[in-house]
Parts: sequence; C-alpha cells; structure tokens
Amino acid sequence: MSQQGTLQDEQGSGGLVRLSRGALLSRSLVVLGAIGGSALGAADLAASSGSQSGSGPSPARDQEILNLALLMARLQAAFYADALRAGRLTGESHQYADVVGKQEQAHVQYLAAALGPAANQSPRFHFGDATSDPTRFIATAVSLETTSLEVYNGQAVNLTPTTLAAAARIVSVEARHAAWARALAGQDPAPAAVDVPISVNQAKSVIAPFIG
Amino acid sequence: MSRDGIRSFSLSDFDVDGAVRESLSRLPGHTRAGFLRRAAGAGAAVAGGFALRPGTAGARAGGSSGDIGILNYALSLEYLQASFYTEAERMGALQGALAHQAQVVGAHERDHVKAFKAVLGSAAIKQPSFDFHGVTANPDAFRSTAVAFEDLATAAYKGQAPNIQSATYLAAALAVHSVEARHAAWIRRLAGFLPAAQAFDDPLDAPRVIDIVNSTHFVTLQAPDTSAGTSPGFTG
Repeated sequence: MSQQGTLQDEQGSGGLVRLSRGALLSRSLVVLGAIGGSALGAADLAASSGSQSGSGPSPARDQEILNLALLMARLQAAFYADALRAGRLTGESHQYADVVGKQEQAHVQYLAAALGPAANQSPRFHFGDATSDPTRFIATAVSLETTSLEVYNGQAVNLTPTTLAAAARIVSVEARHAAWARALAGQDPAPAAVDVPISVNQAKSVIAPFIG
Repeated sequence: MSRDGIRSFSLSDFDVDGAVRESLSRLPGHTRAGFLRRAAGAGAAVAGGFALRPGTAGARAGGSSGDIGILNYALSLEYLQASFYTEAERMGALQGALAHQAQVVGAHERDHVKAFKAVLGSAAIKQPSFDFHGVTANPDAFRSTAVAFEDLATAAYKGQAPNIQSATYLAAALAVHSVEARHAAWIRRLAGFLPAAQAFDDPLDAPRVIDIVNSTHFVTLQAPDTSAGTSPGFTG
C-alpha cells in the first residue's frame, strides 16, 4: 500500500520525460492528460525495459515475460498454500486464501505448460510471519496481487498478440484478487480510475524479500 | 417491455454461468438501439483483419483507423456505465457500502469517458440516451446490473486488447481493463458472489457484447447527429 504509493511516485515523471522524445508525442500527451500519466508510463516502461532484445514483441520476449509471470504465480501459490498451512486465517480471509490459492496454482500450471522446456526452475520461497499473522497476510496479499497485475499491464505491450490474449485472461483475475484483498484490508477495492503499470525491476524488488 | 431484458441482463453472470451468456447472445438484437454498432463495426473489422495474426510484432507503433474504432467502442461502454452510476447516485436509493461503491466507481467511469473523449477528439462518438427503467432506484436491481456491467466491460476490453495496434492505446486500454475487473470484484462481493469466480477470465467479442447491451433496452436512442431528429432508424 505505501509500497504502491512509492511506485507510482517513482513513475510519474520518468514516463513523461522519456516519452516526450517519442514520435507519438502529441497523441501521447493527450493520453497522458486523459488517463493520468499511467498509460503513457506503461508504453514507455515497456519500450525501455526490453531494448536489449530489440524493439517490439517476439517469441523470445514472450518467453521472458511469461517466465516472470510464472515466477509471480508460483510465489503467490506458495504464499497462499503456506498461509493455509499456518492455520491462522478465519472467515473470509480463509476463503480468500483458499479460492485465490487454487487460481494461482491454475496459473502456474497454465504458464508452465505454455512455456514447456523454456520454463525456468522455481526458486525457494519463504514468507516469515506474512503467512502466519492475519493482518500481515492481507497486507502482503494486496502487495503481491497488485504487483502482479501492474507488471502484467506494464509488459503487455511487449507481447505478441496471441500471448497477449492469453495473458489478458490472467491479468483481470489478478486485478480481482487485488480488489478482494483490499476489501479484506478495509480499503476501497479500486483506488483509482487506472492501474498504474510498473517495470520488471520494480516487480522484482517487491518479491525479492520472499525469494531465496 | 424491458422487464425481461433487465432481468436477463442482471442474471448474466459471465464468470460463472456460460449458459446464461449463451442464451443472452442468442437474443434478437434490438435494432432501435444502434448504439455501439458504429463504433464496434470498426472494432469488429479489425478483429477480423488482424486478430491473433502472428508476425505483427513490430506493428504497434502509431494509432490506426482500427484503433479509433476500438477506442470508440470502449467509449460507448464507458458512457453506459458512467450514466448508470451517475443516475444511481442522483436517485439516492443506495445506502452504505453500495452507495459508496456507486460513488467511487461512478467517478472512475466518468474519468474513463473523459479520457477516451480527449484521446479521440472530434472522432469521439456522442453519448446516446439511456433509460435504465428504474434499475438505478432499486438497490437489488442496481447491484445485479452493476455486476453484469462490470463483468461485461472486463470481458469486452479483453476481447479487443490483442487488436489494438498502438502501444500507447493498448497500455491505456489495459490500465482501464484491470480497473473494470476490480470494479467487478468489488460489486460481486457486495452482491454475495465470489469476487474472482474462476482462474481465467474469458473475453467477449464485439458482436456478443452489442447483443447483450441491446438485450437490456437500456439504450433508447443513438446520440442525435445534427440532422438525425428522433428517427430510430440508425444506419451508421
């Protein structure tokens, strides 16, 4: 939550400055004004973050992005499984972990199957009291689900259309999870008119404490 | 006349009941409501022309005429939702968590309208007239209609995302798409449904979305062009 605020702040001006060099300047500025800068940020983040593999989507780039998606799904599936094992959740929080955990597991299976032999090995995860303390659990769920949808949104423009169509079936489910978790945390499920995308590096910094 | 349409639409729980969706999609179109057709015509043409074609990797650079059609289609859906929530707020029948949802989500939908209108400029379609047939003044009907609208919007954006050529517009559409999904989760929870009913959300293509919207009879008149008068015969 405070994490989210930080990410948004980091992004606002950076996106603007860099895209102002682009050929789509005038239209982009209209979009920026209209949608609060976030959409522009996504296009810009996407354009900058993958430049080493050339501009535009490609099957190789799809693999890279799907591997990140697989990592996020594995992390979340492990998180919910760990929380259920810890046995401290009750009521709707327990239902949330049970329902969402199964869906994350389905995402893992889907993404692993899509990647086939190109799928990375799963790292080990550890969650500390994020899965044993109900309040920490919900706060962490909000953070992970929000990060997941935001990095999908940020990377979508780098996907080939077929892979994009598949990823879009997952990203809105992540958004539903984030909304549900926020409701359980006593927050508005949808805090803004647009979801601000984040970069791969921003996503990795959020999940790094749980890996290794 | 519209009662059946409203009830069907309210029950159209896309996430959990494909059978309802199927039956809704078979309802005869409501020809008077030409709303969405002009916008979606362009979107659908794009869908036919570009959808999932491999090898368009580098194509996402600038906007295209197909993108304009898709943005207008999005604008149409946002008009529908924004009007719905605005009217519900004005009616004053909602209370507590539901009133708060309508207020917050309504503001988002109005922001979406403003954004797409700004992006489209003079190419933006005009807002049609709506008649929500009392749904906005009845908390139960409001709730189930809102569930249907938000799940529908999520599915509609998802259906168009792969067709968008411009990276900027795609990013914008996705930034809105996931918010529609949040809205859906929010209202589903208030309606007693699981916020996330399944692991994968399915897309809906433009013709299906249009059929569903038309089946509600919520759209009473296409926005008048300067010469259109009150003629129901929309031909655009």
